[in-house]
Parts: sequence; structure tokens; C-alpha cells
Amino acid sequence: MIHISDIFLALILLSVLLSLRSNRLMALVKLMAFQGIVVSAVPLILDTAHGITFKLIMFFLLLVFVKGILIPGMMSVAVNKVVVSTEIEPIIGYHASLFAGLILIIFSVYITNHLHLAMAVQYKMLLVTGITTMGAGLILLMARRKAITQVIGYLMMENGIYLIGTALAKEVHTQYVVEFAVLLDLLVAVLVMGIVLNDINHTFDDVDTALLGQLKD
Amino acid sequence: MLQFVFFIPLIVGIAVFFLPAKTGRLALFSTAVIHALFTALEWFKLSGPLHTKYFTNTPDGMLVLAILSFLFLFISLYTVFYMGEVEMSKEPIFNGSMLLFLSAMSMVAIADHIIMLWVAVEATTLMSAPLIFVHRSKESLEATWKYVLICSVGIALALLGCFFVIFSMEMSNIQVPISFTSLTTVASQLNPVWLKAGFIFFVIGFGTKMGLAPMHTWLPDAHSEAPSPASALLSGALLNCAFLAVYRCHQLMFAAGLGEYSSNVLIAFGLASMLVSAVFILNQTDYKRMLAYSSIENMGIIAVGIGIGGLAAFGALLHMIHHSLVKSSLFLSTGNILLAYGTKVIDKTGGMLQLIPKTGVTFFAGFAGISGFPPFGLFVSELLIILGAIKAGRYVAISIFIFSLILIFAGASRLVMQMVFNERENNEILIPEKWTRTLPSILLLLTSLALVIWLPDSIYQTIQNSISSIGGTVNG
Repeated sequence: MIHISDIFLALILLSVLLSLRSNRLMALVKLMAFQGIVVSAVPLILDTAHGITFKLIMFFLLLVFVKGILIPGMMSVAVNKVVVSTEIEPIIGYHASLFAGLILIIFSVYITNHLHLAMAVQYKMLLVTGITTMGAGLILLMARRKAITQVIGYLMMENGIYLIGTALAKEVHTQYVVEFAVLLDLLVAVLVMGIVLNDINHTFDDVDTALLGQLKD
Repeated sequence: MLQFVFFIPLIVGIAVFFLPAKTGRLALFSTAVIHALFTALEWFKLSGPLHTKYFTNTPDGMLVLAILSFLFLFISLYTVFYMGEVEMSKEPIFNGSMLLFLSAMSMVAIADHIIMLWVAVEATTLMSAPLIFVHRSKESLEATWKYVLICSVGIALALLGCFFVIFSMEMSNIQVPISFTSLTTVASQLNPVWLKAGFIFFVIGFGTKMGLAPMHTWLPDAHSEAPSPASALLSGALLNCAFLAVYRCHQLMFAAGLGEYSSNVLIAFGLASMLVSAVFILNQTDYKRMLAYSSIENMGIIAVGIGIGGLAAFGALLHMIHHSLVKSSLFLSTGNILLAYGTKVIDKTGGMLQLIPKTGVTFFAGFAGISGFPPFGLFVSELLIILGAIKAGRYVAISIFIFSLILIFAGASRLVMQMVFNERENNEILIPEKWTRTLPSILLLLTSLALVIWLPDSIYQTIQNSISSIGGTVNG
């Protein structure tokens, strides 16, 4: 039986694989906006047991606003200021990253099956998606040189952890104060990273992290 | 009332962004005084938390809060005079961020809800980032970028750890609020496998923030590039807060009967940190980086002490107090050294006793303190940890521990001797030292001395209460 949440999870996986393949920064930001919106919708689809409350919808709208509009908006402002807006020499190539992404999916399925969790099948699928998204975020963080791509990797990792949290810790999703605080932290994190990015771009005329190699022992 | 310790700095901090620099300095110091008053109210239990759902007043949290508040009082005093000497174009941002940073750290100290603790630790990273890149040089940009990215990713992993801990509760079908206090009461029913996994992610995540090797790579860069008052705060207060987060989870593990496992993890990370800092301190050319590696070492010592438990746990918390006092005194001294010589390179300094005698003596005394010489407190705490380890039969761990201590002392003493006693070719200094900028570091050192001679009963009791949950006791 195909649950409606499977479609959403498939869309998330698609955005993950596309972002591993993409070399244009603007395309990555758009993918992040798309992924952010789909990820925010997942609790709304899964938590039908408690019924859809007014609070749940309001929180969904807030999530979509922050993850789908505000953060990608800030990122695209940063991309527009950058001279070279393509990733030129990634540390790990695009084909290799894409392949790693596919391996990651198989690996996540293996882990999830290995855990022998007594939970509904759509939650297991959610766990698979979450682990893959988190892992792909880590790949982007380590395999790319542009500072902007690294921020996107961080966001993707955060999305993955959010999905894992949705699968494991349902308790948290009923506490809006806490979720709001986490969201606020994420927003400020991207804001601070954006300001530093802007200064790096201003000082070095590029956002290549290979330029950041002065400090070492 | 408890929440005021982070509300007040938060509000004043935001206001300072928009106020002129001189008013901001005044606001910085007066908020520090108010913060100290509220902390004292909490310390003597004259008022309780408003909502116990998210915040509470625990002995270990109060200890960290008290150290933070005490340090901030002196550091803010130093900042007021330090700012008079340096030209900083964005001074309101610096002063405001100092206060927001204070607010975030206070929130860590009193957080009880697991996710709230996570939120507060992440907030400390974000609020302290502007402090590091306030100079906007190439190096400080690099340091800030590494700091924000490495710590955010690390702390994101800690969020995963939080979810695992929560899941260990849901797996056993228990419904309690997800705060450390209530989880501890049902700890024995929690699923041990997921709790262990959660602890590992906790240590990796918050350990990144605490500077445990091999996740420490951001720490030397951030500590050396930040202006000295900010370095003092990072090293003296922030690392304690990160330690507190790890310690809370360690206490939960003990309550769940998994104390041996978590102790071994802490000892392994602690010893790794000590060895790494011993290797990197030997050929250091930058005195602020040297002190930063020393912070990594001391966090390792605390982790080892807590891991060994018993008498060593008492030593570890005593070590935390004295390390904060001595290390922030040292970092404040480096502010004066940097103003006088205009460089952070050890080879270009020298002759501190002739050129800047007050700072020279304070810096050297601080170094003696941090290396564990009597009469300073680190001597007592390290001795207690070693005694505790021998009692517990951890001979291999304590051999590595002592070996690293010797190596670090040998490496650092050569550098410090060179800075303090060597002849310098030209005897010109840029900005002479002043009493106002040496007094805070002297007072911090004297406090450390005073606590060795007379440890007030309330501090003694608080340490006892903090470690009783992990089986620590001063009677061995």
C-alpha cells in the first residue's frame, strides 16, 4: 500500500540527489527552498492520528515561511553578490557524489532494517529519508569548496535531523515553544553565516574556502 | 526570578546595539553587577524558577552560573578600560554581543528541558561569533567561519543525540516531561541501547563545543583571533557550559546504571585531548594559541576526572573553578601584552619584566597557576584527580595523564620564560600598561588563591551535591 507520505519522501530524496549533482549555486538554493517546504509538510501528513489542529497548521505555515522563503531568500541575496557562482573544483566530483548518495540510500535502508524498530512502515521510510538527507548534507559540507555550498550542506543536514526527530521523538512535535526555539536558532545561524559569508566575499573577492587556510599549526 | 539571569542581559544586550559606545560600556558593567546580584539570589536559594517546565536550579548548573557571573564581572570591568585604548569601529556590536553571549550562557546553566539545553548551547555559538570577527581581518574571518560551521555541525549532531534519548523513553512507553530532572527519576526504565547511542552523540556534539580532541580544531583559531576579553570569556565560561551539557547526560547515564560506559567514554576523550594539546603546545609560536591549547588540555583533565569519579570527580569540579579563574586572568593579561607589543608572535615579545612589569608578574604567576604549582588551586585539584585515579585502580589512564602534564609544562614553560625574562632588542612598547587593566587579572588570581586557603562551606556543599549523583565524594 502506498501511503501519501511516500510521495513526499520520494520528493525529498529527489531533491537530495539533485543537489549532489548540481554545480550552480542558484540551483542549489532553489532546491533547498523546495526541500524546506516538503520537509515542513511531513509532520502535517504523518500526524493525522491527533487530527489536524489549528496550532499544527499555524506552525506548518511558520516553518514554510522560514525554511521555504526566508532562509532561501537570504541565501539568494548572498549568491547574487558572488562573482563566480558555480562550484569549480569540488573536492569530490559530481558523479562520485551522486554515486555516494545512492550508496547512502542503501546504507540507510540497511541501518533502519537492522534496528528492528516496532513502528509503522511509513515512519521507517521517514527514518531512511532522514538518514540519507543528513548524510548527503555531510557530503556537501566536506566535498565542496564554496562557503555557500557548505551552508546549504548544513541546512540539508539539519533537515535530515528534523526528519529523524519526526520519526523518533514524536513528543517534541507537540511542544511548540521548543520547536519554535529550535527554528529561531536555525534562522539566526543562517543569518550569522550569511554575514560572515558576505564579509569573506568582500575581503577575498570570492567565497572559496580554500582561501581560508592561514591559521594552522 | 531564575529566568532573569538571561532575560536582563538579553534585553540590555539588544539595546546596547543601538546606544552610543560610551553608554554601552556603562551598560555592560552595570548589567554584570545586576547579573551577579541575581546569581547570588539563586545561589542562596532566595528565589526559585518561574516555570519549572524548561528551567531549574541544579547544584552543577548553579556552580557554572556562579563562575560565569563572577568572571563576567571582572571581564566587563577590563573591557571598559580596554575599549578606551583600542580603536574598534563596531564597538556597540562588540558590547552588545558580550551581553547576548552572557545571556545564552546563563540559559545553558539553568536549562532543564533537553531541547532547551540544546537551543541554549547553539545560541552561545551564534552570539559569540560576532565577538571573534569584530576586527574583520582575514584571519579572524577564517576563525569565525570555522567556529560557526564546525560548532553548528557538531551541535546539530547533539540534537540527534537528544532525539535518541527521547526515543529511549518512548520505546519503553513512558510518558514524562523530557527534562533531565524527570528523566532521571525514570532512568532505570529507559532503553539502554538508545540511551548509549544518545550519550555518544551528546559527547561528540557538545564535546566539539567543549574542545575535546579530535573535534577541537576550531578552538585555537577562535581563541587566538578574538579580542582578549572575548577570549577570556570563551575559555573561562563557554567551555564550562559545554561541559555542563555533557555532564547532565553523564548523570542521566549513571541514574540508568550505565555509568561505567559513559565514564570510559569521557576518560578516552579526555586523555586524547590532553595528548593532542601536549603535542601542539611544544612548538607553538603564538602565545594566545598556546593558551588555547592549554584550555583543551584542562577540559581534558576535567573530563578524565569526572570519568574516574569518586575523589577525582570532586577534583574535576574544583579544577573547573580554578581553571576558569586562572585562565581568564591569563587571557586578560594577553590583552595587555598585545596592546604593548602589537603582535601575537612569541619571538617578537620578551623582557616583560622590564617593559610591562605588572602584566609580566601577573602573567608569570598565572602560568605557574595553570601548570599546577602550589599555592594555586590547580595543584590541589590535579592532586585530587591523581589520588582518585590511584584509588580507583586506573593506572594506565593516570600514567598518560601525568605524562601529558609533564610534556605540556615542559613545552609551555620554555615559551613563557622567553616572553617574560628574555632580553628584547628594542625597548619600545606601543601602549604602556595601566593599573586599571592589570587589576582585574590580579583579582582573579587572588580569588583562586583565596579559594585554596579557605573554600567557603556553601561552595563545598554545592560541589558535593553536584557529584553525589555520579557517586563522587570527597571522602574517597
